[in-house]
Amino acid sequence: MAAAEGLRPGAGTEFTRRAPGSPTLRLAGRRLLAAIPVLWGVTFLTYVVMNLLPGDTAQLLLGANATPAEIHQLSVELHLNEPFWVRYGNWLGGVFHGSLGTSLQNGENVTTILGARLPVTAELLLYAFVVSLVLAVGLAALVARWPHGIMDRLSLVISMMGLSVAPYVLALVLIYLFAVKVQWFPAIGYTSPSVSLVENIKSLTLPAIAIGLPLFAVYTRLLRADILEQLQREDYIVTARAKGVRPWPIVLRHALPNSMFGLITLVALNLGTLIGATVIIEPIFSLPGAGDILVQSINDHDVPVIEGIVVVFAVVVVVANLLADLLYAALDPRIRYGRVAS
Amino acid sequence: MAASLPDLLLTAEKAPADSARARGQAGWARSLRLWLPAGFLILLAAACFLWPQVYPVPKPVGGSVLNAGLPPLSPGHIFGTDPVGNDVFSRILYGGQVSFEVGFAVTAIGLAVGGSLGVTAGYWGGAVDAIISRVLDVLIAFPALVLALAIAEGLGPSELHVIWALSVFSIPATGRIARSATLALREQTFMLAARLSGTRGPRILLRHVIPNIVPQLMTFSLLGFGVVIILEGALSYLGLGIPLPEASWGSMIAQGQQTLTASPDLVLIPSAFLFATVMSLNLVGDALRERWAI
Amino acid sequence: MWFGSTGRKRIRRICLGGSAVLLALTAAACSSASSSSSTSASTQASTGPHAGGSLTVFEWNGYSGDWPAGLDPATNINGAATQSQMDAVYGELFELGPNGAIVPDLATGYSITNGGKTVTLDIRQGVTFTDGTAFNATAVAWNIQRDLKSSCTCKPTWQVTSVTTPSPSTVQINLALPDGAFIDQIFDSIADWIASPTAVQKMGEKAFAVNPVGAGPFEVVSDTLSSVLVLKKNPGYWQKGRPYLDNLTFKTVGGDEAAYEAMLAGEGQVYEGMSTPSLIKQAASHFNVVNESPSTVYDLQLNTLTPPFNNAKARQAIYAATNIQPILSHIFANAYPIAQGFTGPGGICNEPTVPGYQGYDPTLAKTLVQQSGLGNVTIKLGTIQNPVAEETTEALQTEWASVGIHATIADYPLATLIAQFVSGKWQSMVQTAGAWDPAGGVGVGFRFESTSPFSGVHNTTLNNLLNQAQAVTGLSQRCALYNQAAAYIAKNYYGPFYFAYAPANVAVKNVVGPGITEPLPTVVVQPAILWEDVAYTS
Repeated sequence: MAAAEGLRPGAGTEFTRRAPGSPTLRLAGRRLLAAIPVLWGVTFLTYVVMNLLPGDTAQLLLGANATPAEIHQLSVELHLNEPFWVRYGNWLGGVFHGSLGTSLQNGENVTTILGARLPVTAELLLYAFVVSLVLAVGLAALVARWPHGIMDRLSLVISMMGLSVAPYVLALVLIYLFAVKVQWFPAIGYTSPSVSLVENIKSLTLPAIAIGLPLFAVYTRLLRADILEQLQREDYIVTARAKGVRPWPIVLRHALPNSMFGLITLVALNLGTLIGATVIIEPIFSLPGAGDILVQSINDHDVPVIEGIVVVFAVVVVVANLLADLLYAALDPRIRYGRVAS
Repeated sequence: MAASLPDLLLTAEKAPADSARARGQAGWARSLRLWLPAGFLILLAAACFLWPQVYPVPKPVGGSVLNAGLPPLSPGHIFGTDPVGNDVFSRILYGGQVSFEVGFAVTAIGLAVGGSLGVTAGYWGGAVDAIISRVLDVLIAFPALVLALAIAEGLGPSELHVIWALSVFSIPATGRIARSATLALREQTFMLAARLSGTRGPRILLRHVIPNIVPQLMTFSLLGFGVVIILEGALSYLGLGIPLPEASWGSMIAQGQQTLTASPDLVLIPSAFLFATVMSLNLVGDALRERWAI
Repeated sequence: MWFGSTGRKRIRRICLGGSAVLLALTAAACSSASSSSSTSASTQASTGPHAGGSLTVFEWNGYSGDWPAGLDPATNINGAATQSQMDAVYGELFELGPNGAIVPDLATGYSITNGGKTVTLDIRQGVTFTDGTAFNATAVAWNIQRDLKSSCTCKPTWQVTSVTTPSPSTVQINLALPDGAFIDQIFDSIADWIASPTAVQKMGEKAFAVNPVGAGPFEVVSDTLSSVLVLKKNPGYWQKGRPYLDNLTFKTVGGDEAAYEAMLAGEGQVYEGMSTPSLIKQAASHFNVVNESPSTVYDLQLNTLTPPFNNAKARQAIYAATNIQPILSHIFANAYPIAQGFTGPGGICNEPTVPGYQGYDPTLAKTLVQQSGLGNVTIKLGTIQNPVAEETTEALQTEWASVGIHATIADYPLATLIAQFVSGKWQSMVQTAGAWDPAGGVGVGFRFESTSPFSGVHNTTLNNLLNQAQAVTGLSQRCALYNQAAAYIAKNYYGPFYFAYAPANVAVKNVVGPGITEPLPTVVVQPAILWEDVAYTS
């Protein structure tokens, strides 16, 4: 989205001219309008890709003993013989009505399946985000307080390693060290929060670390660079120091909140890549989430489920980006008050 | 998974604060930060591509079953053999070839296609920008790994399909960086001067825009290279990347993982190479950013 | 200063960073090499089975841990694979016990009359489903009829003309063709599992599949498809004093290694079907590992309808190019016996060597390759995605290459594999053939009869032999016919056989039971553990 690519808040985009009065709302309106073709494009692309996959669906469903007559009948029932646009239209219409089709494997509504699986994935991602953010902010605060000190060096090392490690390798190592060698966390499986909140958190900890470590690395690098720059360049900070304000309040009340800017948009943008990460991490830990069922569906050639999940993921990403844009715009006074920056 | 896109740009931007201090350091330390990882990469690439030509290594596939499951440091098999008898060292080399090939191809496609799209969008603005940006947004909104899975599943696993699938990820990523960089450039004085003096569009692009954004694109691409290698490993790990029994670090990790407790080296060795390669790429990217004060 | 402190720190930072991780990984490796055998050398079963306790069983997600369609016998496409879960919830009409004994469970006896065309089942009296409704002949007949009418790929292939209930405790099944193997076939047929008709009708099929109601030793507490199945003891189970266990949970895992690690972490007590030899060896130092009786044979199917394997010389070349002994000893540590037919030592009619079987002969292979032109084409060699199959396939590819046969390997998940067969575009596939009774389950007909889409052979003589062998009722007659069939397959080089596979079940040392501490014949690839007899000993 435009704001995110802008290097600094208010950087030149095509929306630099603002009419007076309620600029935030106008901005919101414009962003929303821009999001609609993206949403459509995403659903269209999903449908196209999934339908390009070879394999006769009706035949697969009925299995090996099916007669050609039976296959034909099922194809008619599932509307498989109709032209592409008709099928796409039907599907899109269904999506608007909240129906994402039914699974070819067991006839369940895709919506029901997603309803059962998405919360697990959502909780996992939330956990990963929270942990990585909290740790990153904490580390960044320490770095800001003692720039170029020991914590700073350490943060550089850890973040470089976190960036370079593959999540699937990290997951294997984590399981081996923390579930098998010292049995602090379960190696596999998921416990629902309604059964036991403590066990629930434990069962998600190792997967959250596997996903969160690269995230933490990215956030740390960003925050660190941003804070250091602020400390050096921003006039108000230099002034505050000159006036004798103690270091911690400077960090906590000025430097850090301003750095959260870039971080917020980043969080939303990361959602897309994270969803991809769950596809690898969930099967390793046997978590019954959306990523796990996606892999199963791809193996089982269960096209409606694949379509449903991909569409939901993509829509979530678009919406998250939109929200991040709006938030970014709302927080930046320069945009809010319509000042044109170049 | 690993670094996301605008972050890299933003981080890139902040390097000056750091390098100001860095300039006060000894020059040789800076050189080392660049040349140590770069040297490692060059050596590794050379080893992967040239060693088998120059010095006989056992083939990476078609190993004899009589040699199955040998531990590292066995005679003739310095890294041991896998459960079917293939030499692990040779598979590391050939797997490395795959990683470098896929990484290079995907990055190159990203630069060529994504870069062009981004520069076009950034320079011309208006409707052109709007359309291209929306297209890039759509591609980015698509969870890349999922698309890659679908493509690999539908078309069958092969190195070429992996490259296509991962290009869907690298094109919009590079495109957005190129666009932002072009936008930032557009407002600068010398650009204004060029336009005022009557220089035509394409010439401006060629002589002014592209040379100035190359450093940013280069450093971004180096980090992207690492991400692509990890993603290729992920696809192979899921069985939808390079087909067995061909060697790929990702599929070696997947295979080794099946006997992790019994023979951990089958996982550790390819993981170590994967980690070292990606880390070196990241370090080189950082060092270049620092050097060019981007 | 050239050796400025920050410069030194930077180098150290890089080196430290990299080595820290490597150290951690190496530490992990070192500690695994010195495998700690922490369990005491307590003798098992010395105190006998105790009532009570909760047991968690791991199942592999590629086979027995996958039930996406639910657990209704008439719609569970993976019924045969998920037989453990089905048996726990529904019990069985008849069970396959130690040494192949037929154990009556919810049926008390049977008789086959009318030249093999009428089967009479005696149903146990006084049994109720867990919803309180009566388990009787009507319920059984209702189930069988429902199974026959179902559109599931799992439906029974008997040619049934009628199912009647002459009395509240007998069910009579009339067949169009005689079937001497009927009872053997019931072990992996969905007809072995009887669902409560009331529950199916009241809940509707979809809801029932997720919350099945049977008359087995356990009843369902919660069911997350293809993930976790939580069961508890059925208080009204017909057999007094059974089941021993209070709670039984099935959990899906990603593979042998994941299951092994989870067991080491104490998260489960039993894992069904471990096949990785190096892990089996490791597991033996911590757990009880029992090799089941092998009856499912790994073989290579050749598609005789299309080139190159429509040429008998090409097929013979494959036979002559394959040397199974080194594969068995180096990859599988000699855990499985060699087979030349579709029978194994754990099943009936076992014939380890088949007369006329073309063995390994590389010189002959090279000649045949040239004569048949097999060396001029690249063959597609497919299999399913599991380690045993994949490793066998890779080893074969290497062996064949040394005589000039070039093959490319494709590993498929189950659904894609089925699609390959159905499309007819396959050339060679490493698969399994044979069951406890060759006429049952993924038996010989599945792989060699012309009516089966999974067969590469279309030969009326062979069809007749196999049908006859199934129809006849005397065991020695049947075995004689199966021997003839195996010899016929060998003569026409329809497909080489490799070894009789026996999975290993792994359990913690204080759990006993048939299939866990006592080997059972495998029904389809895995034995059906008798969960009502499984118990803790301490």
